[in-house]
Amino acid sequence: MIPILRVAGHILVSVQTELGDDVVAQFQDAVLMAIHEDRGRTDGIVIDITALEVVDTYVARVLADTAAMAKLMGRRTVVVGMRPEVAATLVQMGFTLPGVQTALNIDDGIAWLDAQR
Amino acid sequence: MASFTDRFGFSSTSLKERLRYFDIHPADLTLLKAHAELGHELTPAIVEAFYEHLLASPETAEYLSAPGMVERLQRKQAHYFHTLFSGHIDLHYVEERLRVGAVHERIGVPPRWYIGAYSRYLVLAHAAFHDRLEQAEAVALTAALEKVMHFDAALAMDAYISAHLETATRQRAAIRELSTPVIRVHDRVLLLPLIGTVDSHRAQEVMQQALIRISEEQARVLLLDIAGVAVVDTQVADHLLKMTAAVRLLGAQTVLTGISPMVARTMVELGVDVGTMHTRNALSDGLELALDLVGMKIGPIT
Amino acid sequence: MTPAAVSHQVSVTTQDDVVAARRQARAMAIELGFDAFAVAAITTATSELARNVFVHGGGGFVTIETLRTGERLGLCLTFCDEGPGIEDVEQALQGGFSTKRSLGLGLSGSRRLVDEFELTSTPGEGTKVRVVKWTRR
Repeated sequence: MIPILRVAGHILVSVQTELGDDVVAQFQDAVLMAIHEDRGRTDGIVIDITALEVVDTYVARVLADTAAMAKLMGRRTVVVGMRPEVAATLVQMGFTLPGVQTALNIDDGIAWLDAQR
Repeated sequence: MASFTDRFGFSSTSLKERLRYFDIHPADLTLLKAHAELGHELTPAIVEAFYEHLLASPETAEYLSAPGMVERLQRKQAHYFHTLFSGHIDLHYVEERLRVGAVHERIGVPPRWYIGAYSRYLVLAHAAFHDRLEQAEAVALTAALEKVMHFDAALAMDAYISAHLETATRQRAAIRELSTPVIRVHDRVLLLPLIGTVDSHRAQEVMQQALIRISEEQARVLLLDIAGVAVVDTQVADHLLKMTAAVRLLGAQTVLTGISPMVARTMVELGVDVGTMHTRNALSDGLELALDLVGMKIGPIT
Repeated sequence: MTPAAVSHQVSVTTQDDVVAARRQARAMAIELGFDAFAVAAITTATSELARNVFVHGGGGFVTIETLRTGERLGLCLTFCDEGPGIEDVEQALQGGFSTKRSLGLGLSGSRRLVDEFELTSTPGEGTKVRVVKWTRR
């Protein structure tokens, strides 16, 4: 179960556990369903990955894909809280996630989404 | 504090293996023990001769001038010589040898001194043995002594090198910290003046330090000044871009400053694409931009 | 303290096994004294390569062992499967594929996270990837 909250008019998804393939599928579905259910009410999606110690290419791609899917549904996504060692590992592999907006933390993420309105 | 044998992973099994590697057989140890009395008898003369040997060399003579050093050394050498004839090499013996090596490293006695000492002992012992024993016996005893001394020298070297490496590692860590000064110039703004050469190793260091600080302080802007970077070629540019990408993943922005006319030319000619990265020539301009990005500004008082 | 030489093998036949392999690699890396960044690199590479074994290799196993040469400690991870193998290793290592659960990106990416990288693959017989990361001197 992926906990989905509403905060300041946006959807907040806090990823607590490691994203194995099965959880990842649920994650994507949960986010997209939340957007669908919330139509007209919320503006953006904040994905909090503070708890993730590992983000491999698969997870990175899922995050990017989720953001792309959300965009198609008219919502902006911002990924927050990436850990230093996770960021370093991703760029070392050559992954910079160009299509994904990022912010330091949930507050900054919400601030960015608000600024886009 | 763990024992030396623990730290070096010595067990009775590995000790047996090492003795085998050094060709030290029970017969050798038995032979040495059998001549323990002779060994003890020869000790004072050998130690005295060793002491003269040290005095004859200016480098080591200077070391001997410290008060009480001579007596202490003589006592230690006598004791050492005794143990060589104990006929018994166990983990305790190993522990002692490792400890000696570590002590030498700590007080700055270079290996060449005590390895030279081993060499001197052998010469002296060899002469004494041949003087007092039948040739065959003398030859065998010298051989046994030589093997044990090599064994000891190797242990002392192990400890010396290990201690030395630890020191070097500590120093490297200190240098690393000094070479990546990340300064908080304002709330949410960090300044990182890069100075000197930036190879891939250093670039990674710097990036890691910067990312850690950005995360710790939740800094929104990293002001990266490269005015002090000696050479900016494609590789360095690559490192900078990588760093900027990582900073962005964390959710912060980079403002690159200190771009001289020469560096600007180089980067364009090399086709470096800075994308959406903010860049400025002067640090002060970069600072103003950084502050602006966090919603602050520098202005005159009224 | 000198860690004793340790070797662990994790068979990879389910998705959970990929996570298990990852956790094992992570635990051993921390034990060896790797810093947070190196631990992340090792764990991520393990995740990538174990996933390859599972997704592309039809299952296999991961062996993780500690290495020691002189003063340096290292972690050696070997990923084996008896799957279809890789036709064009060169291309795979360049990371040029773009299919959904593609092989290439993880492979070339992992290579940059480790100090030593060795890939042997025979089409029809299987693939073996051996990587090593050393502690910083």
